[in-house]
Amino acid sequence: MGVTEDNLNTFPGEVYRDDAGQANFFVTSIDKLANWARSNSLWPLTFGTSCCAIEMMSAASAKYDWSRFGFEVARATPRQADLIIVAGTICTKMAPVLKRLYNQMANPKYVIAMGSCTISGGPFYYYSYSVVKGVDTIIPVDVYIPGCPPRPEALLEGMMALQAKIKKSRAYVIDSPKTKQEE
Amino acid sequence: MSKEELKAYLEVNFPTCKFEDTIDFPVVIVEQGQLLSLLKSLREAPSTDFDLLFCQTAVDYKTRFEVIYHLSSTTFRHDLVVKVLLDDREHPELESIFSIWKAAELFENEIFDLFGIRFLNHPNLRRIILGDEWQGYPLRKDYTDANILIP
Amino acid sequence: MILMIGFKDITLWIHQMLSGYLNPGWVVASEALLVGLAMILLVVIMAVAMIYMERKVAGFMQLRLGPMRVGLWGSMQAFADVLKLLLKECLTPNGADKLLFSLAPFVVLTVSFLALAPFSFAPGLQLWDLNIGVLYISAVSSIGVIGILMAGWSSNNKYSLLGGMRSGAQIVSYELSAGLSIIAIVIMCGSLSIHDIILSQSDGWWIFKGHLPAMFAFVVFVIASTAELNRAPFDLAEAEQELTAGFHTEYSGMQFAMFFLAEYTNMFIVSMVGTTVFLGGWMPFHIVGFEAFNHLMDYVPSFIWFFGKTFFILFLIMWFRWTFPRMRIDQLLKLEWKYLLPLSIINIVIAAFITIMGWHF
Repeated sequence: MGVTEDNLNTFPGEVYRDDAGQANFFVTSIDKLANWARSNSLWPLTFGTSCCAIEMMSAASAKYDWSRFGFEVARATPRQADLIIVAGTICTKMAPVLKRLYNQMANPKYVIAMGSCTISGGPFYYYSYSVVKGVDTIIPVDVYIPGCPPRPEALLEGMMALQAKIKKSRAYVIDSPKTKQEE
Repeated sequence: MSKEELKAYLEVNFPTCKFEDTIDFPVVIVEQGQLLSLLKSLREAPSTDFDLLFCQTAVDYKTRFEVIYHLSSTTFRHDLVVKVLLDDREHPELESIFSIWKAAELFENEIFDLFGIRFLNHPNLRRIILGDEWQGYPLRKDYTDANILIP
Repeated sequence: MILMIGFKDITLWIHQMLSGYLNPGWVVASEALLVGLAMILLVVIMAVAMIYMERKVAGFMQLRLGPMRVGLWGSMQAFADVLKLLLKECLTPNGADKLLFSLAPFVVLTVSFLALAPFSFAPGLQLWDLNIGVLYISAVSSIGVIGILMAGWSSNNKYSLLGGMRSGAQIVSYELSAGLSIIAIVIMCGSLSIHDIILSQSDGWWIFKGHLPAMFAFVVFVIASTAELNRAPFDLAEAEQELTAGFHTEYSGMQFAMFFLAEYTNMFIVSMVGTTVFLGGWMPFHIVGFEAFNHLMDYVPSFIWFFGKTFFILFLIMWFRWTFPRMRIDQLLKLEWKYLLPLSIINIVIAAFITIMGWHF
């Protein structure tokens, strides 16, 4: 069972919907086009700290090959990357570096927390003095991929879940100005 | 030299050391005062020629510290382990062996960072892993902080 | 076989139609507009094709499939990439020099477009046949270095600055070898004009006619051009492990897309120069004496020949990327100044000698 367009209604994550379930015709079509482009061309930032990075490299190389989905161009600079796959344990010394990299990324940006160390601190949750207990205490996470380490196929499914999430989101969130009654 | 030959050599030259029977490396336990001279002679003697310090670490048994040196020789291909026991838990201090092997600099920085054992005559004793502002020495058995949920 | 309608007829028809409606000044302006649109269309189509080709070639070289999910066999991947880059936020770093930072991608892109002018894609399909065609291309591509240095300097980032300086040094060095290798053929042909060079290859391509010096010049040209494009194995200035992304580290969104597009356009230009000068431009592959074979080769239209040869050189350049390990900056510059440049000069002397003695075919 995976995350597809059909069962997205029961997707436990956050999905942007319109205010009254209605949408302007133009915005919907542009939304679809923009979301199609963004989801099919997610460029990951090369960020791998420990063992999950090995699985990420394996997913990038010939046998599992994430470039079939469009993720091939892994840029080393956060300015040009859309997606940061936090693969590996984040210690308290690395945490400000990760926050700075996330801040340097250009919008729209997405985060995948790969492996149990980034979801909650993993095997280091109870006893360690230096592991950040879950990377979502530092940066907002879109998709969590459990595993220690997750297999490359699990990483690919997580990335496909992110693609489905992007396709359902609103590309341009225009806040309507508050009127006097709403204040 | 094999294990027995090393043992015999050490028994002759340093009779006050104790030996342990282990499966892999031969282990020598010395007093704190004799440490520097023992290691220096192990390095410089042409029959032993231990020119590689491939590990230096520490262990916290609850009543004492133990600092452990792993030596190896690239010419004779034999290894040796030297252990020193420290009884002072408040301000443990030891001689630095930076003058014998330069590799000891970073090992001793790490031991100071994680255990709090100060090394005398060290060129630049500082915290290298945890960052300069860390309080306390995490690898001691009596260390606890807010991050450790089960002490 | 001659095509029933030549490109000269098409352009003449358009000219007459426009002259019927507008006065001469407007005719020139509207023709310029049409030509500009055609060039932009060509660059866009070639960029999309090259992005797809690069991903697929990279995939097949590494025993994997490239993009497969986006459109049939991944054909829409380039469109998704470009559209995503268009919709991304354009950042300007805090301490950056705003004017230079914004201007640098435009400089690099404009220079790439300028260099497209003299090329001849088919008999009669040439934008501007100036008598110094090859020299013009070489000169105009040199201006791109200014854009790269501007990008590296104005980013307020020491790695960008290092990357920009290294790129600048590399490009300026390798222009020499590239130019000298083209000059070897120009010596044998006797003219700098693109049209003349192609016409002089009607009895055989220069790489076969001018045997030793031409083959050596081709090899040197491909190496030097790969270095000028900052592509592997000479991509130290923008390699990931070395300098994050070199001079274009701080660019995102559309500005990065412009650098991207300029790099692919430069690749295309370099391949076209190689095709024109060494491989015969739009001339079909004729062997002197085999008339039936020559007639058969003539059935393939000229622009197919031209683009086929261009794609062959493009494939060579992409092949290099996934074959050779990267060179260090000192190895790179040593290669140029100590080996390629002296050998190119000796090559020119040999080419001149062969031309004087008439020993080429």
